[in-house]
Amino acid sequence: MTRNSEGALIVAACVLAAFGVTLVNFAQERSVDAQTALTFLVFLIAFGGLHMAVRAFAPKATPLLLAPVTALTALGFFQIYRLDIAAGTDRASFQRWWILIGAGLASLTLLLFNRGSISVLRRYRNITLLISLALILLPNLPVGWGFPLRGLSVNGSRLWVLLDVGFTTFQFQPAELAKLGLVAYVAGYLADHQRALREARRHIGPIAFPEPRQLIPLLITWGVSVLILISQRDLGASLLLFVGFVLLLYAATGTTGYLVAGGFLGLIAGVASYLAFDHVQRRVIAWISPFEHYEDEGFQIAQGLFAMGTGSLAGAGPGLGRPDLIPNAATDFIFAAVGEELGFAGTVSVLALFALTISVGLGIAFRSRDTFRKLLAAGLTFVLAVQTILIIGGVVRLVPLTGITLPFMSYGGSALVGNLILIALLLRISHEEAQ
Amino acid sequence: MPDIILALLRIIFLGLVYLFVWQVARAIGAHLGISLRRKRREGTKVVMIKSETQQGTELEVEDVTVLGRSPEADVLLDDPYASEFHMRLVAQDSGMVLHDLGSTNGTYINGRRVTAPTTLRRGDNIQVGKTVMEVR
Repeated sequence: MTRNSEGALIVAACVLAAFGVTLVNFAQERSVDAQTALTFLVFLIAFGGLHMAVRAFAPKATPLLLAPVTALTALGFFQIYRLDIAAGTDRASFQRWWILIGAGLASLTLLLFNRGSISVLRRYRNITLLISLALILLPNLPVGWGFPLRGLSVNGSRLWVLLDVGFTTFQFQPAELAKLGLVAYVAGYLADHQRALREARRHIGPIAFPEPRQLIPLLITWGVSVLILISQRDLGASLLLFVGFVLLLYAATGTTGYLVAGGFLGLIAGVASYLAFDHVQRRVIAWISPFEHYEDEGFQIAQGLFAMGTGSLAGAGPGLGRPDLIPNAATDFIFAAVGEELGFAGTVSVLALFALTISVGLGIAFRSRDTFRKLLAAGLTFVLAVQTILIIGGVVRLVPLTGITLPFMSYGGSALVGNLILIALLLRISHEEAQ
Repeated sequence: MPDIILALLRIIFLGLVYLFVWQVARAIGAHLGISLRRKRREGTKVVMIKSETQQGTELEVEDVTVLGRSPEADVLLDDPYASEFHMRLVAQDSGMVLHDLGSTNGTYINGRRVTAPTTLRRGDNIQVGKTVMEVR
């Protein structure tokens, strides 16, 4: 595929976003208003602009990545818009701004790395780690101490930071950016220690186990994950960090023992947190028997399952279902909302788009010759993949629900910005490898 | 009337989504397909078509492969006329290149003795002693 056909596909995805919004309006009010044009314009400026930035700053990057990402954002946006109408909120206009900001920051990322190379992230990885840890701890800032930056608790998780700039306030989740920094740090660390990690291993039966000493980084990450779980009560981020790290360690060394040891540590932490925290217990109860606990714990999952069941094969139609009956439909449960209005057919197309995006990301990793770039591309793709699997798996009741957003589709600015920058980094890696 | 239009538009919307997914999938598939096809065109497979003991042996050259009578060679050539390390096959973008490693009895491509590294083409015959291999 050439850059021009990528452009054509991006325009097609912008049309999809506008078409979706139009259908919702038509179904709800039997009329079409300016939202159609506005949506098309915003998507065209954001993703067309990002496409132009790729042409200018990373012309050799793969042309396969941006189109599915645009389509996922489009499908998510039209559901957010649809849920707005039902709930009387105005999230879509916020999301529009975040799409523009995210695409702008992704373009800026491409511009910044254009002057150097992505390997600066490897050289200054300790600084990246410090910044990331600071970002993770930022929401623990005290509230009401006169400073314009302060922490914020939403839904029991202390993940938010509120920036007061006088005339308006911004809320964001700094952890969404921190996870990129953490992946870069781990990729840099593993690239420098790959040989030592690979060679020091013992075989027990068919499984290769690392030397006990080499398990220290695994134990540290495990500790950090548990710490996030305790201090911020965020099951999703904690699990994402740990699973992503174990996968990356396995990718770097090819030592199956890391998967076994990681699975074992994960199991211990899982059982321990089930026994220790009631919010983890509630999640597990809701996962195992949502209908027996329909009144309380299981309500959200049960509503999500009902929504997807109602959607059946081809869905109730955009604007014709009641996805607003699911709690948090625009964020955690957007997949169920798509399942109700576009049906099984719609959810399969979403899964296909994610699978294609992730396969392109892994393809970039496979083709990279430089170890750091290879591991960074793999790590970034793992982050996307694990998030997608955890939340979609949670919605369809395959795994316990973890409060994590569906990349590109869920309502939420920080996640969208973080994931678009992630895509920019993948594009940059692919550009550098093609040179 | 509007209901029919709406139902139609719904189907068109889903159709467009799938058309899009199909286009992206085809592009990614073509991306993979090109590399697969090129690999086949390169002719990186060597089959022993005449040999006393190794008839039918196939080998896929992925990177660099050394053939010879020595057990330390990547691929053993069971032929009394072969040298310990007889020749080297290198897979490159342009095709597979044969280097004769100064063998005593020489390597012949299509009956002509190899004097310099030679790029192989599909269907070429490589002869070492009494062993004949074909590039596929």
